[in-house]
Amino acid sequence: MKKRGIGMAAIFYGTGYGNGFPDTSTAFVEINDDGSANVLVGAVDVGQGSDNLFAQIAAEELGIDLTEVTVVSADTDCTTDAGTTAATRQTYTTGNAVREAARKARELLWQRAAKELQVTVEGLEAGAGRIFVKGFPDRSVAIAQICSQARLEGQRFLGVGKSMAHTVQMDPETGQGIPYWPYAFATQIAEVEVDTETGVVEVLRITAAHDVGKALNRQQVEGQIEGGVVQGVGYALLEEVELGGGKIKNPAMSAYLIPTMLDAPEIETIIVEDPEPTGPYGAKGVGEPALIPTAPAILNAIYDAIGVRITNLPATPEKILAGLWNK
Amino acid sequence: MTHQVIGKTQRRLDAPGKAAGVTRYPADFNLPNQLYGRTLRTSYPHARIVNIDTSKARDLPGVVAVLTARDIPGHNRHGVLYPDAPVLADRVVLSVNDAVALVAAEDDDLAREALALIQVDYGELPAVFDPYAAMKPEAPRLKPDGNVFYHFKTRKGDVEKGFQQAKAVVEKTYSTQMIDQLFLQPEAALAYLDDRGHLTIQVATQYSHWDRLEIARALGLKANQVRVVVPAVGGAFGGREDITLQIHASLLAVKTGRPVKMTYSRQESFHAHSKRHPITMKVKTGADANGLLTALEAEIVGDSGAYSSWSPNIIRKTGVHITGPYVIPNVKVDAYAVYTNNPFTGAMRGFGAAQAPIAYESQMDALAAELGLHPFTIRWRNAFQVGSRTANGQVLTGSAGLRETMLRAAEAMGWNPEELK
Repeated sequence: MKKRGIGMAAIFYGTGYGNGFPDTSTAFVEINDDGSANVLVGAVDVGQGSDNLFAQIAAEELGIDLTEVTVVSADTDCTTDAGTTAATRQTYTTGNAVREAARKARELLWQRAAKELQVTVEGLEAGAGRIFVKGFPDRSVAIAQICSQARLEGQRFLGVGKSMAHTVQMDPETGQGIPYWPYAFATQIAEVEVDTETGVVEVLRITAAHDVGKALNRQQVEGQIEGGVVQGVGYALLEEVELGGGKIKNPAMSAYLIPTMLDAPEIETIIVEDPEPTGPYGAKGVGEPALIPTAPAILNAIYDAIGVRITNLPATPEKILAGLWNK
Repeated sequence: MTHQVIGKTQRRLDAPGKAAGVTRYPADFNLPNQLYGRTLRTSYPHARIVNIDTSKARDLPGVVAVLTARDIPGHNRHGVLYPDAPVLADRVVLSVNDAVALVAAEDDDLAREALALIQVDYGELPAVFDPYAAMKPEAPRLKPDGNVFYHFKTRKGDVEKGFQQAKAVVEKTYSTQMIDQLFLQPEAALAYLDDRGHLTIQVATQYSHWDRLEIARALGLKANQVRVVVPAVGGAFGGREDITLQIHASLLAVKTGRPVKMTYSRQESFHAHSKRHPITMKVKTGADANGLLTALEAEIVGDSGAYSSWSPNIIRKTGVHITGPYVIPNVKVDAYAVYTNNPFTGAMRGFGAAQAPIAYESQMDALAAELGLHPFTIRWRNAFQVGSRTANGQVLTGSAGLRETMLRAAEAMGWNPEELK
């Protein structure tokens, strides 16, 4: 018989290195002759899309198009140290550093533009390749034009940014302190179908709501959540490195199973934006939290379906059947 | 001011290259005159190295270098937190991850052939694979300071008093399995000396500047003499935090003066990088008749395998997160990281906080069932909000959108959260 169940899991996730360990990123921005810009940053883009976010941040601050920003990342001869791509920290920590670097480079350019437009730097804003007088967009100057003029006069527009996450080391006897900052939050609810004859669990649907502070690129956030959910399905139901006497018995993709597209449930991603005051534009991060609620939500859904509480991952058909027999 | 680029979907700048298949990953880089590097790993989980005879491998035509621990010019250790993992095992091997020798040859088949000609004599030592067994005094001692190398504690309030106030108390033991990050692109690197004589390596990693330092330290170079360049990376998920082939390829390139290419098979990839910690969590949780949590007590044991990697930070993270995102006035947590002779464990997406909710979210459902509450209700009533205080004494400020995620996920599943609060 096939039985359906629904299970919920809510989680928090402390981002950053934590526990008072210095969590620092740096970045470098130069505005070129024609108003385009280069970002030099040590952060490795492991495929999650940090290069794109840093280009977006620089483009936003400078008022230019995304395609006018080149990000050079993770070449130790020319980029600055931005810490490790881990701990869900690159959007938050390095994002802040890139933003500061872009703002410092912009400040120099805007001082020049303020004179030209006869207004203070605070009275300026930029977008679509132009610098405007705030509240009077008829008065503006093209960024490319003012850059090339200023550079002919010998000016250069460089900015270095540094950012650090704030935590406090915990007391070794009581654990009291500030272990992480900031925290990401998420709730996922899973619907599963359990075949009581074979023990096979199929994950039908997952609703995944994640508080990311602010989504800097919605599609990338959705991609992280969808990828995390599928990885979480593998953690809950399929994956296990089998050891015998310290040796790995299944070091191959034929024997170590991960979910395929056919195992992926229908995923409804829901982006919740509770802005984090210390993050770039309010952003926190989503990399790791995406995966975390999936497996416990599936375990709770299995219990809801068949009344069997799996306490030992993964929830293989053998364990499901054993649970049913022992009920 | 409204944002113009931020907050919207922006096309990925790297998408066209990846979609068209022209993006180059580390395995796609080659240089003229390059050699092929291979690694000899042990098959013993715990043994003394009595002797390594490389003469037959050296004599094979086409083999250019065979290196062991004695050939390392600098420091023969690396590690993200403590440098305790050998670049090449010297006196002992502690797990089947351990590399004992390197070969560089004119082609990859020759390099593999040469590995088979290296004769290593081992003296087997007693091994321990279960972390609970490794915690006992009679267990084989894997490190001078003992096998339990990290103990995290949370102490808040009085858990005994808290359990007395509870209407329902649930106590269960949960265990999670070892898993692999299984990024799609197995490890590969191209290392060479550039025109200046600086060592350059093209490799996929998560932290180029840290790799540079570890390579420089092992090779006896200054950081400015090493250049780590990261091309496109085919996933990482924590499995590229610890050094795998970076120092090996660099060492072969420096010793031979020729470019060296190293590419792992999937099988070798499994043996080279860290794994997710198997963690056992014994958790006791109490709640009053309204579902408000009164106490939580947890004992957590994580299998670190043979090397420390990120274990203290990971087990600390399990210890901090074992409460779940809930206000609990009385909390006692003890979390231990333990050495065994298993493959070493380290970073993987979730980093100790992925294991914790297997326990705490199962406990919440079990408590809800005992108290006749809906799973949403018990979570809603205990949920962290701005101003809540965690078990570690931290007051949450700024962004804490947990309840909003509960509402939105529940509505999308067709529940009516207004009736369930």
